[in-house]
Amino acid sequence: MIPNRISRRTFLKASAATAALLSLGTFELETWQRLNAEREGEVKVTPTLCNACSSKCGIKVYTKNGRLWKVEGHPDHPYSKGKICARGHGLGTLAYSPDRIKEPLKKNGEGKFEPISWEQAYQEIGQKLKEIVAKDGPEKVVYVEDPRPTGKFYGPRFLAAIGSPNYFNHLTVCSNARDTGFLHTIGAVPGSDIANSKYILFIGRSYGDGVRPASVQALVQAKENGAHVVIVDPRLNNTAPLADEWLSIRPGTDLALVLALSNVLIDEGLYDKEFIARYAVGFEDFANKVSSYTPVWAEKITGIPKETITRIAREMGKSKPKAVIEQSWRGGFGCTYANSVDTGRAVALFNALLGNFQQPGGYIFGKPPQLGKLDPTRHPEPGKSSLPRIDQEFSLVDPHNGVASILPKKIEEGKVKAAFICQTNPVRGYTNPKVMADSLEKLELMVVIDVLMSETALVADYVLPEPSYLERDDVIEGISGGKPAIALRQKVIEKVYPHTVPADQIFTEIAKAAGIGEYFNFTLEELNRALLAPLSISLEELREKGTIVLNDPVKMGEVPKLKTPSGKIEFYNESFKKAGFSPVVEWKEPLVKPEQDSFRLITGKQSFHTHAYTVNLPYLLQITKDYESERLWMNRKRAEEMGLKDGDLVEVSSSEATSKIRIKVTDRIHPEALFIPSPYGNYSPYLTLAKGVGFSYMDHVPYRIDPMGGTSMIHEVIVKIRKV
Amino acid sequence: MARYGMLIDTTKCIECFSCRVACQMQNGLPPEESFIKFYGQEEGTYPHVSYYTVPVQCQHCENPPCVANCPTGASYQTEEGVVLVNEEKCISCKYCMVSCPYQARVVSEKTGVVEKCRFCIEEVRQGKEPICVTTCVGNARIFGDLDDPNSEIVRAIAKKKAKPLRPDLGTKPKIFYVR
Repeated sequence: MIPNRISRRTFLKASAATAALLSLGTFELETWQRLNAEREGEVKVTPTLCNACSSKCGIKVYTKNGRLWKVEGHPDHPYSKGKICARGHGLGTLAYSPDRIKEPLKKNGEGKFEPISWEQAYQEIGQKLKEIVAKDGPEKVVYVEDPRPTGKFYGPRFLAAIGSPNYFNHLTVCSNARDTGFLHTIGAVPGSDIANSKYILFIGRSYGDGVRPASVQALVQAKENGAHVVIVDPRLNNTAPLADEWLSIRPGTDLALVLALSNVLIDEGLYDKEFIARYAVGFEDFANKVSSYTPVWAEKITGIPKETITRIAREMGKSKPKAVIEQSWRGGFGCTYANSVDTGRAVALFNALLGNFQQPGGYIFGKPPQLGKLDPTRHPEPGKSSLPRIDQEFSLVDPHNGVASILPKKIEEGKVKAAFICQTNPVRGYTNPKVMADSLEKLELMVVIDVLMSETALVADYVLPEPSYLERDDVIEGISGGKPAIALRQKVIEKVYPHTVPADQIFTEIAKAAGIGEYFNFTLEELNRALLAPLSISLEELREKGTIVLNDPVKMGEVPKLKTPSGKIEFYNESFKKAGFSPVVEWKEPLVKPEQDSFRLITGKQSFHTHAYTVNLPYLLQITKDYESERLWMNRKRAEEMGLKDGDLVEVSSSEATSKIRIKVTDRIHPEALFIPSPYGNYSPYLTLAKGVGFSYMDHVPYRIDPMGGTSMIHEVIVKIRKV
Repeated sequence: MARYGMLIDTTKCIECFSCRVACQMQNGLPPEESFIKFYGQEEGTYPHVSYYTVPVQCQHCENPPCVANCPTGASYQTEEGVVLVNEEKCISCKYCMVSCPYQARVVSEKTGVVEKCRFCIEEVRQGKEPICVTTCVGNARIFGDLDDPNSEIVRAIAKKKAKPLRPDLGTKPKIFYVR
């Protein structure tokens, strides 16, 4: 019988567990009985958008007596499809964080922040901006954002009104390499129709770590339909339960794998010849180039057996067009290695060989909703700046992304004098934090708009607090896809801190003070109504529904005209040639290589955090604490060789820094790599929960920029470790 | 009267913790208290390794030792087979905690009441599903009536040969796992 199984020992264990539950978080506790009792008549459900990551899923937020209760996924939103991830739930409490910035702050002569009035902030910032534009030129002003909906409209318009072309976002440390590779090869970054695919290869991308709920659901559906799923990653990531096999690739050699897979497809005639003949240019040049990239060749570089490479290529060839190398986010080639752009090119071209464009189970070129615009007769539109961008040397990089990590260099050269940074943390996350912080401090004017006091806010002259995402309206979000959609972030709860002001108003007021107010003579509501006008959807209807999917599907089976110079798939590429690179993709070594006594430091997401942005939230940080998720992953055999045990404290040292961290000994990682999750290492003293948790891999990333894709090459880092 | 149970398919669980946080918020729990725990399983040696995780919460046993051991009758079973705690009767003696072979119970720091998963019974009685089920991004969870031979859960248990954790303990759990 069960009761007899209880020993004194297990009783003590339970008591100890109880004692460990002592400290109470900042979120007010209510018992379920009370929650239940208060439920009737006081619960309100508001559809809005999540803000926990760049996906911005549709959510439904439940409030009880005007206070947040819980969050659910919006059933109609293409990214959430009724579900929402841990971040989406836990982020809701951001509004109640005691670490919120509650009023505008200005740094005084001693480097300390003092509260000022909004009027003073607007006037001083506007005046200073006017001076800089007059004295140094408008191109000395830059704008940096995540991007998120309001910033994406107001930021570029603000720049245009000043006359600056210098727009930047965080993609320099996310997908710039992939985007560069894809844009010049196939004209866009399509989505993958995972649900209908029969053979799915992920390179670095992990649906189980960088969670988008609809993607996970699609992968589960594919599995139920019998799809074969391959993870290519130096680490067996958390998509593992949904995968059929793991290729533990040597970090930085994904390009060799994709070239060898292409070699087999072409050599064995398994590619879609008709598709290539119809839609591609330069195929022969590519075929000649990859003829030497055999599986035997790739085995030596990647560490993946040649038989495996040949088998996978054949299986994908036979499954085409319902076979796909997923396009990835940051993954293995978004911003990670010196050869990431070329990996991006090779991946795009491999999918072309499969002829999977606009086919079920392949790559889908989505379309955006056709939103309207403000009437220029009543709301004058600023002309686009004709001045050169400060990152013009990166001619291949999409100016809609920019190369934000160029800022330290350009600030040192005196080419940037003022920066407006909205809801993003370049100091913590874009490149080496010391380099970024030291340079940003030299600006004549630096304005940060944010909710919490990030590491970037620490070096600002002015910090302007926004209400959190549940306390404000934002610009309507248009979502591209197989079926375009629109969605609205709207106010769910009243402002917790009354002196916070949303970014649209901040931009409008600064613009007025800087003498460019005529370009901002409209309210957010007027703007949103203008955006909706062509769709015959009222703002009221969108408020009620939150997300509306437009019945305007892309035509399957019909490849749209590609946005490359030739309008076709470019196996031979003039743009790369013009920029001084090989017109045909070829093998390129990663920048650095570990020795016998050193490791490559690699990083990636965890499902319950985004960048450094979510670590200060009690529900999400508690997962880190409970599961010791901030640890450094190390291969078991390597650990044994070094006499290290699970949980040992080690010192990680690179050319840039030393950090201390405990290790997680595991068989889930390549022996030459150490994995550190990306979100940790916050040091802002205002982030009272996140500060001091784990370390940031960025501390170890040397300040370098990939000349092709303008990325920070965040995996090109060699470290040594020793037991402390 | 329905007899509620759940299926958790570990081949679809990516250990994203969405169910954990959703449950905490639905139930007004502080971050430190959670009704769902994850037991990650790494098997094999590099590079032939697999990984899966087992989410564990109150198993709503047919034969619940926590109910048998509760001296005040605070822990009880509803007609639907759901194990609940009556806040008024709980004296925080923790007998139920040590009797639970699944370590599914936690003490509310604020009230002293020993709490655990309640299958979101108030939601379920309104025709909804527990929030861990509705939010599961991998569709790894199915909830329903174990006595209805046509219910999705009954069919899935049969089809996937789902089994409870440690059936040898004789507690007859109503959560079934697919491995």
